[in-house]
Amino acid sequence: MTDHVARLYATALALVVFFLAWAAVAARPWGHETAAEAKADPRMVQLDRRAEQIRKRQVRVQRKLDRRFEAYRVALAERQARIAAVQASPAPVATPSVAAPSVGTVPAAPVTQTRSS
Amino acid sequence: MERHVFRALGTECELLLDVDPGPDAVLALATAEGEIRRLERLLSRFRPDSELSRLNEAGELEAGDDLLAVVRLALEARERTGGRFDPTVHDALVAAGYDRSFDDLQAGGACSPPVPAGGAVRVQGRRIELEPGVRLDLGGIGKGYAVDRAVVRLAGVGPCLVNAGGDLAVAGVPPGGVWPVGLETPAGEITLGVAEGALATSGRDRRRWRAGGEERHHLIDPATGRPAESDLVTVTVAARTAVEAEVAAKALFLAGERDAAAEADVLGVPALLVTADGRVRFAGGLS
Repeated sequence: MTDHVARLYATALALVVFFLAWAAVAARPWGHETAAEAKADPRMVQLDRRAEQIRKRQVRVQRKLDRRFEAYRVALAERQARIAAVQASPAPVATPSVAAPSVGTVPAAPVTQTRSS
Repeated sequence: MERHVFRALGTECELLLDVDPGPDAVLALATAEGEIRRLERLLSRFRPDSELSRLNEAGELEAGDDLLAVVRLALEARERTGGRFDPTVHDALVAAGYDRSFDDLQAGGACSPPVPAGGAVRVQGRRIELEPGVRLDLGGIGKGYAVDRAVVRLAGVGPCLVNAGGDLAVAGVPPGGVWPVGLETPAGEITLGVAEGALATSGRDRRRWRAGGEERHHLIDPATGRPAESDLVTVTVAARTAVEAEVAAKALFLAGERDAAAEADVLGVPALLVTADGRVRFAGGLS
């Protein structure tokens, strides 16, 4: 092992030691923030309170949405069942039984047209 | 008044429903349209996968309710009209050049010698058997049947009118007491008030084309297999159902003016005849 390599290892080790020391100091193990200090900032308290309100409101809104969606889902199922029943039910195969045709000329404006088909 | 228009049965279909707008009206109109489209899928001779096409291809078939019903109605009509209405005109129509849907026919159809109709059709139970070489066309009567069925679908919701290219039926009375239906004639538009039943118009003024150097139309005379030669241009008939009106209109058209008027009067079939020389004639108690 050359001196060059030894210097490189020493430098790396020194860097590791430096960062470990920095992390230890940043953690401030010797100091404790008191509850009073934490409460000291009213803006933080207000923000926490507001966040809690929003969380509760979100839960209420979600419950309401769940209820509405469930009601919609039930109504949709009923509607689809109605459509399926109507489409599946055989209308009378025989042509409808109606009275004799009642027709004559009238002065009213037509709502539709008959023409050779 | 709810109005719903769509294209089916080779023509424009119109549904009128006299109710307030809402989901029930939308559902009823959609159901009626679905019924018409379902019957078109079964009864069209232009759809190779229709039940009718399968019958024509195979010559025999265990038929479903609707095809069976329409074939029975068509055979009864053939009997009742003495053959002036005949569902076995398929090959005659093809020979006259009407071998594809009318929308596609404008390019010109091929023409071949006329084929008289009148072949045997047997119905036993659900089984329909065609004499070899016989094929059915249920175009007009199928349209009337679809109109009658669609009216049944709508009638439970409110007063309604179903019109498939001139074949129309009503159920229920609209606020004015009748459904005013216009009819173009050489003498101007005539409005018929329909309170009950159905109207159909048959004529040679619309479904016309040129083939083999001649002008053709779709009203085939079953006896000759050729487009009918009549001194009438159109016949409009009122009847209990669109099927009956369709059959009667075709039969009276083939009869010609004099016989058609007499027959309508004797049978009490309200009819309006438009002649080739531009006259309008009421018959069968219609005025």
